[in-house]
Amino acid sequence: MIAIEGLSKSFETARRSSHTALADISLNVAAGEFVSILGPSGCGKSTLLYIVGGFVPPTEGTVAVNGKPVTGPGPDRGPVFQEFALFPWKTVLGNVMYGLLERGMARSKAEERARALIGLVHLKGYEHFYPKELSGGMKQRVAIARTLAYGPSILLMDEPFGALDAHTRTGLQNELLDIWERDRKTVLFVTHSVEEAVFLSDRVVVLTRSPGRIKQTVAIGLSRPRRRAQLLVDRRYQTLVVDIERLMDAPEEAP
Amino acid sequence: MMRRAIPETLLGSLPVVLVLALWQGLTSAGMAPPSLLPPPAAVFSRLAQQLTDPVFLGHAATTLFRLFAGFTIAVAIGVALGVLATGSRTVGALVGPVVRVLAPVPKIALYPAFILILGFEHASKIALVAADAVFPILLATYQGTSAVEPKLVWSALATGTSRRKALFTIVLPAALPSVLTGCRIGLVISCIVVFLAEMISSTNGLGHLLVYASRSFRTVDMFVPLITISILGLALNAGFNALRARLLAGFPEES
Ligand SMILES: Nc1ncnc2c1ncn2[C@@H]1O[C@H](COP(=O)(O)OP(=O)(O)OP(=O)(O)O)[C@@H](O)[C@H]1O
Ligand SMILES: [Mg+2]
Repeated sequence: MIAIEGLSKSFETARRSSHTALADISLNVAAGEFVSILGPSGCGKSTLLYIVGGFVPPTEGTVAVNGKPVTGPGPDRGPVFQEFALFPWKTVLGNVMYGLLERGMARSKAEERARALIGLVHLKGYEHFYPKELSGGMKQRVAIARTLAYGPSILLMDEPFGALDAHTRTGLQNELLDIWERDRKTVLFVTHSVEEAVFLSDRVVVLTRSPGRIKQTVAIGLSRPRRRAQLLVDRRYQTLVVDIERLMDAPEEAP
Repeated sequence: MMRRAIPETLLGSLPVVLVLALWQGLTSAGMAPPSLLPPPAAVFSRLAQQLTDPVFLGHAATTLFRLFAGFTIAVAIGVALGVLATGSRTVGALVGPVVRVLAPVPKIALYPAFILILGFEHASKIALVAADAVFPILLATYQGTSAVEPKLVWSALATGTSRRKALFTIVLPAALPSVLTGCRIGLVISCIVVFLAEMISSTNGLGHLLVYASRSFRTVDMFVPLITISILGLALNAGFNALRARLLAGFPEES
């Protein structure tokens, strides 16, 4: 589904020196697979998502989606940004309806579908609130609903639960898994929480500190549907979390 | 909000009251001869009388028409060029130097040329108003649109929106707070410039009334158009703020 080949990204910094953010990333993600990208801050996780989304061009290497090289953004890949990026002048309903209207859906039908999605992320009653009138967790759910609305087959989620308290976070993780179980989208999910990555994913890709390279890919063989209460006492879950934490702490071998 | 609005209005009118008191004091103490500085009562009773006079109202309407026409042209050109300069490198490269050269030129210096080209009537005055008001609007629009969070645009592009469409449906609304700040400055400038243009060469309008009265040494009649234009400016500003509050409903509170 997503084929990333020899991807590198360097930035020209303001001081005219070149800074490598990502080096030689190759990764294949199958259709319906949930893959998490794990790595320390600044290792290039967001940059990787932006390149797959087509928002930022790579310096080297290629990204292909369903065999077609990525040259720009497209409605097959739906981003959910770390910073929410909701349209401040639109209400919750307007934000969620946006993509549907852009995809050419009739207004009444778009509104119906948007309302259903707003219900799905438990925001019924907030349709006419502006983003500034919502809490961080609510904004994040609007952002997820806005992206789910136009039905991208791939979700690119950048630390979508990063800024939330533990309780809201686990709540949203459960909601996301529920939604994902329902229509098995391909998900590329950036996080720096090991537990979150193990809980959600089929595979966890661990990146090295800057410049980001793939340190190791870990398959998460836990059965689905997953229930948090069961997983927390599951030895295999615990081992995976401990192993990946150790992996992240391990010194990086010279490339 | 309502509770705070009233004392603030009171506070704001305090200086106005003080100026009026000072004015009254100066005249009743005999420090300024009434032929040079007529007492406020004389000016305001004359104003009240003029406000029912269709000839005077005709002059005021002429001024208002020129002001609005010039301002509207300035908004249309300033916003369009500002947005396009952000959206297109070519337009940016074309517009940038012209703006840097023309912005500091006192536009009143172009007025003789406008009169020669466009005549003594409306057109030359409208052109001068537009020429003066367009720059703050253009600069504020350019700055506001180039500072828009790229992820807002990416969120739109990801739904399949074209870059050109996103420029006007995402970048422009996202920059609205700063665009409107530019427009407000443009509006104040329009008030000043229309009056100035009418003072320099006109056969009608409030500015002409002032000059006409001063030539025949009718000081009361000199003050009446002056006060009228400031009341007009006040009313326009209030109307503009009401519109602004509606347009910016979703944006975070800012002064
Ligand atoms: N526009 C840019 N110009 C220059 N350097 C950049 C730019 N964007 C990112 N970088 C650099 O690329 C590297 C990776 O940034 P990125 O935002 O992808 O990290 P991240 O892994 O998402 O970090 P975090 O977990 O803190 O979000 C950083 O070292 C950063 O300095
Ligand atoms: Mg990031």
